[in-house]
Amino acid sequence: MVLDNLLQTVVFGLIEGSVIAVGAVGLTLSYGVTRFINFAYGEFLTYGAYLTVFLAGGLFGLSVPLPAAAVLAIVVVGLLGVGVSRVFFEPISNRGALPLLITSIGVSFVLRNLLQGWVGVSARQLPIPLMRRTDYFGLVRLTDLELGVIVVSVVTMLAIHLLLQRTMLGKRMRATSGNRALAEVAGIDTTNVVRQTWFISAGAGAMAGILYAVLFSPFRPGVGFEYLIVVFAATLLGGIGRPYGAMLGAVFIGLAMNFGSTYLSANYTRAYAFIILVGVLLFKPEGIRGGEF
Amino acid sequence: MALLTGWAAFFVAVATIGCIYGLLTLGLNVHYGYTGLLNFGHVAFFAAGAYASAIVTMPPPSTVTNASYVVWFDLPMPWGFPVSLAAAALVGGALALLIGLTSVRLGTHYLAIATFALAGVFSDVLVNEAWLTNGSFGMNSVPKPGQAALGPDAWQLAYLAFAVLSLLAVYLLVERVLEAPFGRLLKGVRESEAAAEMLGKNTTVVKLKSFVIGGMIAGFAGGVYAHYLGSVVTAQFVPHVTFTVWAAMLLGGAASNTGAVAGALLVVAFEESTRFITTAYNWVQGTLPDPLTGVLPALAGPLPDNPSFIPSMRFVVIGLLFVLVIRYRPEGLFGDPSEIEALGEEE
Repeated sequence: MVLDNLLQTVVFGLIEGSVIAVGAVGLTLSYGVTRFINFAYGEFLTYGAYLTVFLAGGLFGLSVPLPAAAVLAIVVVGLLGVGVSRVFFEPISNRGALPLLITSIGVSFVLRNLLQGWVGVSARQLPIPLMRRTDYFGLVRLTDLELGVIVVSVVTMLAIHLLLQRTMLGKRMRATSGNRALAEVAGIDTTNVVRQTWFISAGAGAMAGILYAVLFSPFRPGVGFEYLIVVFAATLLGGIGRPYGAMLGAVFIGLAMNFGSTYLSANYTRAYAFIILVGVLLFKPEGIRGGEF
Repeated sequence: MALLTGWAAFFVAVATIGCIYGLLTLGLNVHYGYTGLLNFGHVAFFAAGAYASAIVTMPPPSTVTNASYVVWFDLPMPWGFPVSLAAAALVGGALALLIGLTSVRLGTHYLAIATFALAGVFSDVLVNEAWLTNGSFGMNSVPKPGQAALGPDAWQLAYLAFAVLSLLAVYLLVERVLEAPFGRLLKGVRESEAAAEMLGKNTTVVKLKSFVIGGMIAGFAGGVYAHYLGSVVTAQFVPHVTFTVWAAMLLGGAASNTGAVAGALLVVAFEESTRFITTAYNWVQGTLPDPLTGVLPALAGPLPDNPSFIPSMRFVVIGLLFVLVIRYRPEGLFGDPSEIEALGEEE
């Protein structure tokens, strides 16, 4: 019984960790090339979840099957990310990180409240049926959806790994992140690389939002902004700007949150993520200075 | 609020809230404007002060409906008031010290995230520790000092006068401190930590002091707020408060105390006046000549018909304020461009 409970908590931690991982990798990728922390990132999660609900629910005329709606939402939010970057961030990109950071707060207010003004504050949820948990090896219980979330997340991580290591875009991204001026001199169109990174980053955010909605519906327009703390925690834990660190950090944060909720108190889920983070900041701050891919 | 009606009551209320936000903005300005500390958790200090005031002055739980708090001091009102405000400032400063000890050494970005998140954790504490805070139901019997003697209308005016005086006193105090060598030390840390260290200054301690001073001012603002509204509820202390204060500071001009106060008054006046949009709409609609009556409904028709539309648009404007001020006028209305230049340089 004790062992059962322990294993089940580990599994829940891994499930939540896989949602966080997708978000944290997206955030950290954009940090790598833009060098500022994007507080508007949470809105990509929110927009991803809402767009999926609207597309699947037939708000825009035709009702799309859920998986197609999710893919469409990821692409649209990716484009939104590029648009947001061009309108709000590119014009001041030569002014240092501080103006960009503060601007991102403003952008998050604009995006979140536009959505809220349009759809209201009532909670929405994805059209997915309630599922019974299946027993695996008599040890852990999972719904097919939860299993799906883990699989999608792992596949995404692998795809990002291949993107970074095996494609020209990935190499350009790494070069831009490492030293933008040098990359420019080497003939890389860094402006374009930054835009492509925004697309991937925002798309990953949308995917994280959708996975979150799959696991924890219903949600409201504030969902992404509230979850941002958790995504930040994972990102910083792994070392900001380091995708592999973010993945590891996410798993760690997911486990910490679920162990804390199960064995301490369910009221402080976010706090567990943060206590760990503050601990790392206190005792190993040099380990989390920004880095390269 | 019997006699003080209509515009007068509205003006008094907005001015009082404006003064409280003025205090908050002065506090944040010490952090960001003068020391360059990115504090994205200002609301936590405000909340800490408000709850401290509530806890020291709330009557025994047996006399309050839905009470689940077990700590109260029930200080008698006329003389309990200054004690309560002092407690608010102290608790605000203590929380700042606590948060500052963990994170003030961090670089700008990490500090922004750490303060933002620690404020989130603090609000979780306020919601969950009902024995201390009465949970999300809130502390709704915070005494309004002098209200019984003055009557509601005169009290509103008297409290406004008190809020204005508090703001003035804190303003003068902050100006004085920042003109003293300590103020130059703060700016020195802001502009170059390495240079300050070269001169033998302990920059961590300087930053911590700045953090505590700003936190005390915000805590004091919380105390003034608690005794003004007579109730302290967790839902009042959301991250939006932090960012409204940021918008006020940026609009007024970072590193300018005059700007901080002016920005706070402008932002609060704007936020409060948006509640009259519907009234104004109806008034315009009522005065339009007959052939034009179709115009406004046609314009407003495509807008979503939900009650959160106008409140949400208010925050869209606040968000745009961030974007536009930073892009086109980083020194705000009253700031000094050279100070902003010093703020923008980092690492």
